[in-house]
Amino acid sequence: MKYVPKEIPEGINVTRRHPLANFVYLLGTVVLISLLIFVALGYTASYLVTKISPETEAKIGQMLATAILEDELKDDQRIHYIEELLGSLPEANETIRLPLTIHLLDSDIVNAAIMPGGHVLIHTALLEQMKSENELALILAHELGHFQARDPLKSLGRSLVLMVASSLLGISTAESGGISKIVLMTSDLTELNYSRKQESAADLYGLTRIIKRYGHGGYSLDFFVQLAAEEEQELVKVSGYFLTHPPSKERIKELNIEANEKGWKMAGEPTLLPEWLYCPNMEPCEW
Amino acid sequence: MDVLIQIAVFIILLALGYGLGSYLENRHYKSIRQREQQTRLVPLVTFGTKKYWPDDAQDAKLLVGSVVISIDYFKRISAALRNLIGGRITVYESLLDRGRREALLRMKEQGIEWGATQILNVRLETATIGGRAGDNKGLGSVEVIAYGTGIR
Repeated sequence: MKYVPKEIPEGINVTRRHPLANFVYLLGTVVLISLLIFVALGYTASYLVTKISPETEAKIGQMLATAILEDELKDDQRIHYIEELLGSLPEANETIRLPLTIHLLDSDIVNAAIMPGGHVLIHTALLEQMKSENELALILAHELGHFQARDPLKSLGRSLVLMVASSLLGISTAESGGISKIVLMTSDLTELNYSRKQESAADLYGLTRIIKRYGHGGYSLDFFVQLAAEEEQELVKVSGYFLTHPPSKERIKELNIEANEKGWKMAGEPTLLPEWLYCPNMEPCEW
Repeated sequence: MDVLIQIAVFIILLALGYGLGSYLENRHYKSIRQREQQTRLVPLVTFGTKKYWPDDAQDAKLLVGSVVISIDYFKRISAALRNLIGGRITVYESLLDRGRREALLRMKEQGIEWGATQILNVRLETATIGGRAGDNKGLGSVEVIAYGTGIR
């Protein structure tokens, strides 16, 4: 019997499917499903934290505070001033579920934040930038707005849930290269969007309180104006979706629109800050 | 910003993996097809039972062809995504197809050089190098070995 070679057939063991089409299908499915899971889990967490009692929140806050607040300035007279200013902001009939504590941190980074349990963090660099009490009051009222909306608890709850969920899925162990990236990026982006909504709500809450306290919104937006100017100078323009806070320009615009609708006065005399606010212990000093 | 950089790096790696990976794969397939045509006159024969070798055979030799092929970033991500969903990992099918055919070709080419008229009882085996189950951090590549008895 003589051997006669036949034509060699092609493509038997390879599925005819374009790799890119395959990839788009896979990526779409995974992103969509992880989006659904993370959003659902996130909302569950946000809902559950509203059930946390103020006592438990205070305990959580205490635990976090001792871990973070190492370079806190103690016995500084400025703290009392800020505490008083913060205390004057809520409406008379408004319930504040926990006493708010001011922590003054010695830092060159301009920042203010609020932690679960009502711990308000103010950096000294922020105080140095303030030109009027109205400006500082809006920042404090903004943080108060976060506190009233239980935002710090919500984000704590969400990140806990996400951490647990992703470690259960085995994503956090960087098991298969890019997968962790895809799933976590999806959750990161949804997280940012969530916190931006919270920021806008806190902004609005803040401005409402400023109007009540000072009768006008003049000078209160100075800090945002300055931030907007700094953002202008930045070379890389990042789309708003990737920022935790909305761009300052937009924040100013939104607040002005809101004020216009409600008929709030956005101009008025500034309330001056005590001169010694820039100095430790409020002792007269040159600066 | 961090997220943006991460996404950019990811996309660059992916594009690089896809671009280079499919270029190399196409080139490899072209070479495989061409060499398969050149070597198809030597038959590979596999018997189901024990058998004496053909009467006209004078000489026998073990022929081994082996090849190691690595996955690219694009294939890795596609397969990892597929791991979450389930189903055919089509991107690996072409990888293994290339591996098997290349290993057979190398074995055949070695046999032809030696003067084989037939290659008997051909077997294929695979081994993974790096990227074992549960430890996918290393390089994921596959070795395919083809071996058989050449006669002349």
